[in-house]
Amino acid sequence: MQTAKPMMMREDHLHLHDALDILQPSEHWPGHHHPILLPYQTPLSFPQQMLDTSYSIPEQPELAELVPQLPFGAALEIDAVLTDSSTSTGCFALEHRPRKVARRDVDHGSGTSSLERQDDDHGVSMIALLLECALAISSENMTEANRMLHELTYAASPYSPSCAERVVAYFTKGMASRVINSWTGICAPLIPHDAILSSFETFNNISPFIKFAHFTANQAILEAFHQRDLIHIVDLDIMQGLQWPALLHIFATRAGGPPHLRMTAFGASAAALAEIGKRLSDFARRLGMPFEFRPMAKRPGEVHPSMVSRRKGEGLAVHWLQHTLYDSVGSNSNAMRLIELLRPKVVTLVEQEIGHCGGSFLDRFMGSLHYYCVMFDSLGASIRCDDPSRHKVEHGILGREIENILAVGGPGRSGEQKFESWRAEMARRGFAQVSMSRNAMAQAQLILNLFPSSLGYTILHGDGTVKLGWKETGLYTVSSWTAEPLIV
Amino acid sequence: MQNPQHRAPDAFSLDLDDPTAADKWAAELLRECAKAIADKDSANIHRLMWMLNELASPYGDCEQRLASYFLQALFCKATDSAAHCYRTSLAVAEKTRSFDSARKVILKFQESSPWTTFGHVAANGAIMEAFEGEAKLHIVDISNTFCTQWPTLMEALATRADDTPHLRLTVVATSSGAGAVMEEIGQRMEKFARLMGVPFEFQVVRGLARLEELGGRELLGLREGEAVAVNCVGALRLLRVDERDAFLRTLAALRPRVVTVVEEEADFTSCKGDFVECFDECLRFYGGYFGMLEESFPATSNERLALERECFRGILSVLALDGDDEVAVGDCERREKGRQWCGRLAKAGGFSAAEFSEDVVDDLKALLRRYQAGWSLMPAEGNAAGVYLTWKQEAVVWACAWKPN
Repeated sequence: MQTAKPMMMREDHLHLHDALDILQPSEHWPGHHHPILLPYQTPLSFPQQMLDTSYSIPEQPELAELVPQLPFGAALEIDAVLTDSSTSTGCFALEHRPRKVARRDVDHGSGTSSLERQDDDHGVSMIALLLECALAISSENMTEANRMLHELTYAASPYSPSCAERVVAYFTKGMASRVINSWTGICAPLIPHDAILSSFETFNNISPFIKFAHFTANQAILEAFHQRDLIHIVDLDIMQGLQWPALLHIFATRAGGPPHLRMTAFGASAAALAEIGKRLSDFARRLGMPFEFRPMAKRPGEVHPSMVSRRKGEGLAVHWLQHTLYDSVGSNSNAMRLIELLRPKVVTLVEQEIGHCGGSFLDRFMGSLHYYCVMFDSLGASIRCDDPSRHKVEHGILGREIENILAVGGPGRSGEQKFESWRAEMARRGFAQVSMSRNAMAQAQLILNLFPSSLGYTILHGDGTVKLGWKETGLYTVSSWTAEPLIV
Repeated sequence: MQNPQHRAPDAFSLDLDDPTAADKWAAELLRECAKAIADKDSANIHRLMWMLNELASPYGDCEQRLASYFLQALFCKATDSAAHCYRTSLAVAEKTRSFDSARKVILKFQESSPWTTFGHVAANGAIMEAFEGEAKLHIVDISNTFCTQWPTLMEALATRADDTPHLRLTVVATSSGAGAVMEEIGQRMEKFARLMGVPFEFQVVRGLARLEELGGRELLGLREGEAVAVNCVGALRLLRVDERDAFLRTLAALRPRVVTVVEEEADFTSCKGDFVECFDECLRFYGGYFGMLEESFPATSNERLALERECFRGILSVLALDGDDEVAVGDCERREKGRQWCGRLAKAGGFSAAEFSEDVVDDLKALLRRYQAGWSLMPAEGNAAGVYLTWKQEAVVWACAWKPN
């Protein structure tokens, strides 16, 4: 197999996919029903620090240790080893070795210097103050809250080598912002779409979560539409559409010829949608695949269900990657109604494992604190504390989400009830879960293989879903559902 | 808490994704908000603060940071909580301040920008020239420099052609917090003087609730036969406006050889009473300062963050603390421009301006060459004396030397 030269994940990510033209397309694997979605053999180029394992970051106490853990599903780490079999098809075999994750030992013994112990103490006392402040806000004791906010602001810097401090800085900022916005009485957010998309792209570059979500979801969609000729993908929040070129390429180059593919894309910004539509259409045209793109500059919860329909003979997929950057879906019940009426063959859901998103301020605070501690830890493990990309992601993505979660009205920033868990809701409404396949997990592992193996990202598998997490905590969960059994 | 509105108010003209939209969105929104406050237009106050709150961030770009600190100040004003907020902020700052952290910030600032070093070089130059031939020197240092100004001067004294003079340094701690770190600073000064071979005495005049109470010769312990220099860097603005003239008279009574004054170039005094005018000037000055910080430091600089945070109380006191509310105890921040100080020094103090010599001007120009482009020196004109440090053609710092008539 030829290898193309390493490519950067540039803004025009389609260049990368053009390079795929000189790679062999994925092949059917005799004896298996589903083709393996082989991603690029060319290594995607990541910031040098992440590939350079000789660069050592000073040991920081795991921030997540400082925050009480919320229990998640059974953690079973799958160690997927790809071995090159010697068969003539040049295929790959997949070896699973499930094993329990060892209990992480909190070792503050001989290895810890006094400076690290100081950091521990400082970190612990700041988190304690942060919790006190949240309590004060939740009981509307504003005088105390303000005093503590001042202290926290002075004590914590978002550029500190300590992940604890960085998290405290952003949670403090979120609470200070909440104090003002509960006074103004207005909750509707202002959304700088371009800035968000730009930060999101950086997030996609320096951290594996988004790629993980894209590639595993794509695999599930691929498996659902084996040999279908008419395919309709509904993306409930397309962002920059980073996910789709890879899938388009697989469909376009499959044995048996490309399907007719159409895409209905919901998005926040009409201008961004137009640009994405053009790029995807151009790409599909170069691949010789019939392609239709329908932009919907609205939220799925705001359109009448008749606005999106399934044509006769079409295989329909609904995809949604959840985030808390802004309310992408609108009325949850309306959006769910839309999905139900579409009777999709496959629904791929990517959810963040943030607890209690629909609850009270304090519930949301506690639920998100652990999540973001782990997230910040994952960035801090491999990227320098003064790296501008890391700052861009922490400020433009994570900080923004934290602010939305803590804001009056919670992440929805509206009075409507949001589903606590979409997976639970899907099950409740009679969708049948489709277990994520071994191939989907292989995708996840391949993404992780692009990162230095010493890092603590883990793939967790259980209850039919695939999670990508840091150390033992799952952060993003991909699940797949089908309405088909509902069809009478 | 009021019942929150969930719909965005109609008609806000900010298109966040418009590339041609004003770069300086913060200034525009902040000014509108200030005007709404002056007009007591409650609906607009709420709407504009909501927008600012959405867009501001103390960790973002320059516009976002400016918006963040000004929004906090305006919020305190609108909710009548300014005095309390000021006191809280001050208490917290003093609690978290340490010698090490303050020193780090000051040194980093001096490395990255001539904002403070400009005044030091000018003042030291004038002091050295005034002390020519004198054997017993006494510098009364009323400043915020944490003595970073003096090592270079001590070096100059040590390498003076004639016998090394005896130097006394009396530091007047200008804020209640500074007194705590002065012990440590004093020790370092003594150590440095020993190294330089300069006979040296150090004392701190502390616990002065108000600078205005600065007594006379006895309080400072002035001795016969001493040549006295008074160094006021960032100090005169801490005085209550109606007591500035009296203070200058007090300085004159010390019979100094020279008084060096360094101040930031802004006028928050003549607009006192007119909120919108004060606001505009405050925004102009701090907008320039924040912009300068953005260009002088890397984006993830802790020192830059510390310097910006230090601005908050100044902004708050100018915008939200007025008249009798004015926080007492030497924490007034009503700056005046060079031209205005010249008026006071001449009339009330009975001083005349002493031009900086060519040597000093050369030293200043050499200093500026060490930093990035954008900085320059501008001599004062008309009814002002001294020199200005300019950043992108705007005068930002003023330095001047005065002799008694």
